Amino acid sequence: MSTTEHHHPEVHAAPRPPATGLRRLLAPGFLRAIWMMALFFGIGLALVLGIRAIAGWHPLWHWPPVLAVAFLTTMPLGFLAGIGAFDYWTHYALGRPTRPEDHSGHGARSWRDYFRVNTDHKVIGVQYLVTTVFFFVAGGLLAMFVRAELARPGTQFFDPQTYNGLFSVHASLMIFLFIIPAFAGLANYVVPLMLGAPDMAFPRLNALSYWLLPIAGIMMLSSFLIPGGAFAAGWTGYAPLSVVGSDGNIFFQMAVQWAGASSIMTALNFLVTIITMRAPGMTFWRMPLLVWANFTTSLLVVIATPFIAASQFFALFDRVLGTDFFRPESGGYVLGYQHIFWFYSHPAVYIMMLPGFGIVSEVISVMSRKPIFGYRLMALSLMAILFLGFSVWAHHMFVSGMAPWLRVPMMITTLLIAVPTGIKVFSWLATIWEGKLNFSTPMLWALGFLSMFVIGGLSGIYLGAVPIDIHTSDTYFVVAHIHYVLFGGSLFTIFAGIYYWFPKMTGRMYDERLGKLHFWLTFVGFNATFFPMHLIGVQGMPRRVVDYAPEFANWNFFISVASFGLGASTIVFLYNMINSWARGPRATGNPWRALTLEWQVSSPPPTFNFDEIPQVVGNPYEYGVPGARHAVLGEERVEELERVR
Amino acid sequence: MSTADAHAGPPVAHQSSRVSAPVLGMFLFIGSEIMLFGAFFTVYFFARVVNNAPAWPPEGLELPVLVAGVNTAILVTSSFTMHWALQSVKRGSRAGLQAGLVLTLAMGLTFLLTQMIEYTRVGFAPRDGTFGSTFYGLTGLHGAHVFIGLTLLTFATVRAFRGHFTAEHHHGVEIPGIYWHFVDVMWIVVYASVYLL
Repeated sequence: MSTTEHHHPEVHAAPRPPATGLRRLLAPGFLRAIWMMALFFGIGLALVLGIRAIAGWHPLWHWPPVLAVAFLTTMPLGFLAGIGAFDYWTHYALGRPTRPEDHSGHGARSWRDYFRVNTDHKVIGVQYLVTTVFFFVAGGLLAMFVRAELARPGTQFFDPQTYNGLFSVHASLMIFLFIIPAFAGLANYVVPLMLGAPDMAFPRLNALSYWLLPIAGIMMLSSFLIPGGAFAAGWTGYAPLSVVGSDGNIFFQMAVQWAGASSIMTALNFLVTIITMRAPGMTFWRMPLLVWANFTTSLLVVIATPFIAASQFFALFDRVLGTDFFRPESGGYVLGYQHIFWFYSHPAVYIMMLPGFGIVSEVISVMSRKPIFGYRLMALSLMAILFLGFSVWAHHMFVSGMAPWLRVPMMITTLLIAVPTGIKVFSWLATIWEGKLNFSTPMLWALGFLSMFVIGGLSGIYLGAVPIDIHTSDTYFVVAHIHYVLFGGSLFTIFAGIYYWFPKMTGRMYDERLGKLHFWLTFVGFNATFFPMHLIGVQGMPRRVVDYAPEFANWNFFISVASFGLGASTIVFLYNMINSWARGPRATGNPWRALTLEWQVSSPPPTFNFDEIPQVVGNPYEYGVPGARHAVLGEERVEELERVR
Repeated sequence: MSTADAHAGPPVAHQSSRVSAPVLGMFLFIGSEIMLFGAFFTVYFFARVVNNAPAWPPEGLELPVLVAGVNTAILVTSSFTMHWALQSVKRGSRAGLQAGLVLTLAMGLTFLLTQMIEYTRVGFAPRDGTFGSTFYGLTGLHGAHVFIGLTLLTFATVRAFRGHFTAEHHHGVEIPGIYWHFVDVMWIVVYASVYLL
């Protein structure tokens, strides 16, 4: 449906004039969103009260269902309807003739266009990135609170319940509102360009998936305002704790639904775009590795994300409807939550890593001026990780009391994942080998990722082994491991990607000196913060507890001081981004002399990416190979087509 | 290209697959839906098999296997009328399209109403042990999907009566149809495991 209008490029009109007076209340926008939120809240409330009245449940007014349905489901739907995310579909559903596409919702002419439903994948990519950086800062501040509390033994600033809320919301924001959507944002911007496509396959669905994100993020943050405090069962939200804990858990359970829906819709869009909209000549074996990475990630998202949605539904039903899915006293299987949750959340660590692998492959090849080593194996190892990733979930549950026979098979599959991951690490090293290295900021982040991720991968092998895992379960060793793979791994690749594509997205160059300063501050601060956690973890300091034994006091003070330095390094990043976006020197179309298609157009690219769809003639990474071409555009494309004919 | 200004509209995207984008999107979405049902079946399996439930259904409870069986037959029939509607529009027969869609809608509604009446008479609630929870979980999830399917079919029906869809352009019938067939097949699995096994 949404692709059909591409077949009518002759239909185009000027953007509609802005509405005035009472019309403004009816025109899509934040004004309409306000009254529609109130309206939809009323509908949700009526639904809850009506059903409770008919079913004869007492009391009629019960907070949990009102929160879950009226506040966290229908009110956000009202917001989406208000800003106009559903306008086209409502129009279609009412049986009106399909509107000719006037592209008025496409592209950005002023900053205001970033605050409305926009169908341009480049605008959506920037929307994603700015939103996720906002939640990254919010989540980072929560981590600063956690470290302030842990600087000394005993309880200083927060009571245990608040502290539990702080680290739970920190982790949830960083995972669901930063790492996963930041990758989606980068890919949104770059993948259609790399494929030689004018946009994503479903631009309106793309816009909708973005607008679900702020809803999920605000939901998580606002859980602090609820009497009883934020959800405090960790980002894993294990039942029965999340079933009996404060009503803040409802905010987590619903926010995950919104973020998950956003994730699934984006992944569908990527898959369809990659399969059906590749430029002529762009076979699967000529796709850049970033596209490959997002292809496998999207498959993971589509297959696995329904499981976390279901796990949160069950926990929500147990709380709101009084069902017995995870209530052991009435026949529920309490470990079921963990099985279903980790069946998503283990593949989710690859959802949080594979796109980063793609970014690093781009950066390392371009900055080493060499073809990527073992291109096909790089792509196939992504697929191998995808399949193996579904067979390892119970390694998060070695101490949970699950069936003992599950342990060894899960340990073996876990260790097996080191093989495809090792292939990738050695391929990157071989790519760097004897290359003409350009130590620009993106390359520094990519190299930092390579070394830090290997450390995180090695502690992962430790944790995959049953005996060591039993010893270190729920200690700071696990905290160190997850931060080495998610911070040293995913976050470093996100920064690599942001710096690498910054000139493409903004048309301006960032400050190289500040970029390098940002890298080194982060690199040192990161290691000073998280490396000692291995030591105190092995000595047995438990995670997720507000207080700790006095013998860990010195290390914790050191870690807290280092973490504040790490937090401060973000200021350099934010200053560099904002200042360079506003005042940086103009960037050329291809400052890195890269071959992939996104660099063959202007910076920033024209609204519809290409005047004509390019012709792909070779592999994407033939750096240093004389006469090698990836794609031809413009005049050359016409000549090439003549030559082939 | 007839446009004078090349920047005014997008270039026509190259179609690199024989499958059309919306159809592929619907199939991938169904894959995601199957996993959602998979999670509900997993929790059902945990409660019944892994937890060694002593009696399933518990003493004194009985499911209306026969009524639900008739309901199953109704839903399966609606898949055939849906197919008929699609074949009709492909042949260019608007009457067949309209009749097929209306019949499908009617049978889907009958199924949903029967299920709601069943809920009121079945004699237990979602909060009555894991049997109740998983029964309402699986049939409720499926019921929600029937509702979504019916909503999509309503849109298609409204458009069919307003003169949209032609023998060449009928994605608006085909795609809700694919979803409807999925809902039917999924019901057979739910019926077999919840009522029969």
